[in-house]
Amino acid sequence: MRKAHTRALALVAGVAALGLLAGCSAPSSPSASATSKKPAVIDVWGWDAEMTPNIVKAFNASHTDVQVNYVLQASNPATVTNFRNVMKSKKGIPCWVPATGPVTTAVVNGWAQDITKYIKPIESKFSAGALAGAKLDGKYYGFPSGPDATFALVNEKVYSDNGIAVPKTWDDLIAAGKQLKPKGITVINLAGEDPSTLIQIEQLAGAKWFAIDGDRWKVNFTDANSLKGADVIQQIVDNDLASHQTYQDRPSLYAYFDSGKLATVPLAWWSLFGYQTNLKASLGTWKAVDFPQLSSSGTFKAPGIANPGIVPVGCKDPAAAVEYQTWVATSAAGIAASKSAKTDAISLPTSLKDVSKYTSAIVPDKLIDPAQSKDQVGAVISKAQSAAIGSFNEGPDYDAWFPELQDQWGKAMAKQITVKQALENVQAFVVQDLKTKGINYTVAK
Amino acid sequence: MSSATKTSEAGPARSATRSTPLPSAGRRPRRRMSWRHVQSLKGASFTWPFVAGFAVFTVLPVLLGLGQSFFTVKSSGLGFSAAQTSFTGFDNFVRALGDETFWASMIRVAIYAAVMVPVTMMVSLTMALLLDAVRRRVANRFRLLLLIPYMIPGIVATMIWLYLYSPNVGPIRPVLALVGLDVNFFAGNMVWVGIGNLVVWGTIGFNMLILYGSLQAVPRDVFEAARVDGASEVRIAFSIKVPYVRGTLVLTGLLSIIGTLQIFAEPTLFRTVSPETITKDFTPTMVIYNQAFQVGNLNYAAALSIILALVVGIASAVIYRLANRVDK
Repeated sequence: MRKAHTRALALVAGVAALGLLAGCSAPSSPSASATSKKPAVIDVWGWDAEMTPNIVKAFNASHTDVQVNYVLQASNPATVTNFRNVMKSKKGIPCWVPATGPVTTAVVNGWAQDITKYIKPIESKFSAGALAGAKLDGKYYGFPSGPDATFALVNEKVYSDNGIAVPKTWDDLIAAGKQLKPKGITVINLAGEDPSTLIQIEQLAGAKWFAIDGDRWKVNFTDANSLKGADVIQQIVDNDLASHQTYQDRPSLYAYFDSGKLATVPLAWWSLFGYQTNLKASLGTWKAVDFPQLSSSGTFKAPGIANPGIVPVGCKDPAAAVEYQTWVATSAAGIAASKSAKTDAISLPTSLKDVSKYTSAIVPDKLIDPAQSKDQVGAVISKAQSAAIGSFNEGPDYDAWFPELQDQWGKAMAKQITVKQALENVQAFVVQDLKTKGINYTVAK
Repeated sequence: MSSATKTSEAGPARSATRSTPLPSAGRRPRRRMSWRHVQSLKGASFTWPFVAGFAVFTVLPVLLGLGQSFFTVKSSGLGFSAAQTSFTGFDNFVRALGDETFWASMIRVAIYAAVMVPVTMMVSLTMALLLDAVRRRVANRFRLLLLIPYMIPGIVATMIWLYLYSPNVGPIRPVLALVGLDVNFFAGNMVWVGIGNLVVWGTIGFNMLILYGSLQAVPRDVFEAARVDGASEVRIAFSIKVPYVRGTLVLTGLLSIIGTLQIFAEPTLFRTVSPETITKDFTPTMVIYNQAFQVGNLNYAAALSIILALVVGIASAVIYRLANRVDK
């Protein structure tokens, strides 16, 4: 009797549990039609905790068809790791991820969705560089995003006190470094973990580390142009003209920048307020100038790579993602919403054809020498943006080879190897990686 | 009254059924569980929360990783088309066994462990012996103080020490300069020392606590007898206390070895300050992380993880066996 009772109870409990499970997993069909009338809700990822939440808030307030849920990530590397995980699991895929690397790598990894049909109608809003950077094989796999062009800050006082003209070319910079070295001043900081200056000079030199050649990649880290760029860095290292302050130790880095022992700092527009916040003694001694050129003749060029954000494969509403991003990047309301509460500066809309009317609004008050007006600084930034090279193909496996470049760069900065050897080693790594992945390649001779 | 009657009636009836099986039923007699067995099962049931967690968060990932390691993802052409996943058996393991970078990192960390584990154990044991020698009230205060570093997450601890080591703004370099030492912990040849010091600082609290607990369990009358025989406190410590806690030393030593072979957070953060020394492949876990999240080869990373787990397991078993042999 008792057994029968227990069995009956177990049966009821089992049926109830099945019912609950079914309730959890079955689609709620009666409300499906009602749901379709609701605004599309998309997840947007990012690691910016300051400006983007305000942008999202403004977008949501002004739109009824699309609503954005901003998913704040801890950092850029954390975004890459988490994104890789969701793409592997195919669960919780967002509809927008900011640039975490070149669009080529995103396509090769199977992450980037073809959004050509959404971008084509709005192409006229964007600069040619922004469009080129988002395109691969004639299709848009990224949202057009302009490069953050590099210009330079020079410590005006250091140069004037030592009677040295501000360098216009890398040869000038090396010569200036040799003059400053006996006084304990370094002409540039090359952090051991950050090879960005090498890539910038390689871009100026016209290096093409990766190119598509039919159905295969042409890998070329060691051609004449690449070695020309490498030679510039090698001269700086061989002559001990650079400091090697790490970005990991920010207090030390800024203390050094502030000490009057550093002459030139390459940067992009978004670094300006960071320097104003962290520098003290040297505030008002810096001047914005053009990025040094490889040659005094020829067309002015500024380094800068456009890495677009992507609409991931698996996002069910790419139109909504493009609508949101277009509003952010091109509309007056979107640009205004990017204003920082801390600095009162907007985010420079680099994807537009002409950014000149926005550049003076991103110049901080105290950092720059008062002799140089905000408009003059803005003109330097506009010039760099207009002359930004933009394209620099980083191949199908950027995520894999960049850490290797960091390793090799660190060794070159410590004089364990030469910059040329570093490039050769990276090329060998790339070849091995492409071979492992089954991607076709040739090595240029 | 009625229920009591029912109970008394049901009891003998059930026991009769069990003790005298009916031959006509043709079933094997049920064995009654012994009281001791039932008690053991009840006791074991308290471990189910742990067993469940262990199964879900350790056993299952290992099995999934093992499954992943038998596959390989390959692209073709420019790599733009969808990559194909195929079963490749032990290919990833064969590649891993010949991967010089991975084994170099393993040897590097093994050498580091050979230095670090004894140092950590010696410092922890010394701390525990000192605590054991003072009054319990005083010991409790220091015990808490020494445990604080262990409570700090590894990443946070590393950030703190990066600041302390900073050659330009950190306090350590000027202090050492006062005694005529010019030490730059960010220099390539000092990175291991810097990491080692940080790890010792972070782990002695945990080891010390376990050893101290073990020392407290040593019968005090043995010490009294030794003192009566004229033994000094140092002699008591090394001749009585240390042999008593040898088993605990083996346990903490094993935990230290396992932790050291899997070192990740500290070198990853130190990589930026000394990139010429600490490469992306500096330790086995860094190699695995790089393969999984930079190169994007999860299958190969899974194979490397399995191999690392095996190496750690074998190293632990060997050391445990050797320690036990010494004990006998």
